[in-house]
Amino acid sequence: MSEGFDGTENGGGGGGGGVGKEQDRFLPIANIGRIMRRAVPENGKIAKDSKESVQECVSEFISFITSEASDKCLKEKRKTINGDDLIWSMGTLGFEDYVEPLKLYLRLYRETEGDTKGSRASELPVKKDVVLNGDPGSSFEGM
Amino acid sequence: MEPKSTTPPPPPPPPVLGAPVPYPPAGAYPPPVGPYAHAPPLYAPPPPAAAAASAAATAASQQAAAAQLQNFWAEQYREIEHTTDFKNHNLPLARIKKIMKADEDVRMIAAEAPVVFARACEMFILELTHRGWAHAEENKRRTLQKSDIAAAIARTEVFDFLVDIVPRDEAKDAEAAAAVAAGIPHPAAGLPATDPMAYYYVQPQ
Repeated sequence: MSEGFDGTENGGGGGGGGVGKEQDRFLPIANIGRIMRRAVPENGKIAKDSKESVQECVSEFISFITSEASDKCLKEKRKTINGDDLIWSMGTLGFEDYVEPLKLYLRLYRETEGDTKGSRASELPVKKDVVLNGDPGSSFEGM
Repeated sequence: MEPKSTTPPPPPPPPVLGAPVPYPPAGAYPPPVGPYAHAPPLYAPPPPAAAAASAAATAASQQAAAAQLQNFWAEQYREIEHTTDFKNHNLPLARIKKIMKADEDVRMIAAEAPVVFARACEMFILELTHRGWAHAEENKRRTLQKSDIAAAIARTEVFDFLVDIVPRDEAKDAEAAAAVAAGIPHPAAGLPATDPMAYYYVQPQ
């Protein structure tokens, strides 16, 4: 059963009109179908109604976890829900199997984000060294 | 020590004219015992060998499904270990954020939160589909249907929050309709539909 690809990497927007607004409550069905495909053998098929059911379930899952994380932030007098809050909520609500993989995922994500954020800052001392060494080609010459 | 009195108990009083008489008379039949005590008279239990075989087959398929799920979680962990691309996701982060924001108690969301959710939702979809597919296979089908998703939800404790989203009754109705179409007998009254021995034949009207 082939899945249609919806142009963008992450799936298209909700579209205009009333139906689009209704669909904003759900993740794109094409993306969900592509993920479901991976859990079914090559010769297996996926009915449209099962994709729609999973689509609803995923939105409910997001709301369920978010609500618990939001309560936690409220109790701790914090305004921002972060990744740790979501992982904690999943563990609390019975999704223990999700906790370890997601902890690892979040750690790796933070490491890569740290690298990209820190890269500009780390460039400055290197270029300053060049200036101090009297490199005439340095863009920091006038500093 | 006094000798035991061996006097018989007094005889029951004579029946009063017009008083109701219990039917059947008390003690006429022994009380029904065993697992089929509540079954209707139409019900004829299958031979024990067939029952044992079907129970063993069910247990084996459930064990296989459990093993597959263990492999699934190990595979998820391995997959994450080798993740290098955190820019492209299989689910749109903006839409995830929009669903989170639908809760009016939510004030601010860290940039990492939708990223974590994108991966969590992916695992959730895969797990739900795996469990649904196991149900489809049990029913000798190669197409994943809504009823399979409903069955996966009904069987899995952590999915209790979804019971109203995909009602199990619809799944039962769909399965019953499919069974009738295929000429499979109905479950006996008073027995759970999951009981492999809960079937009897109904004469066509």
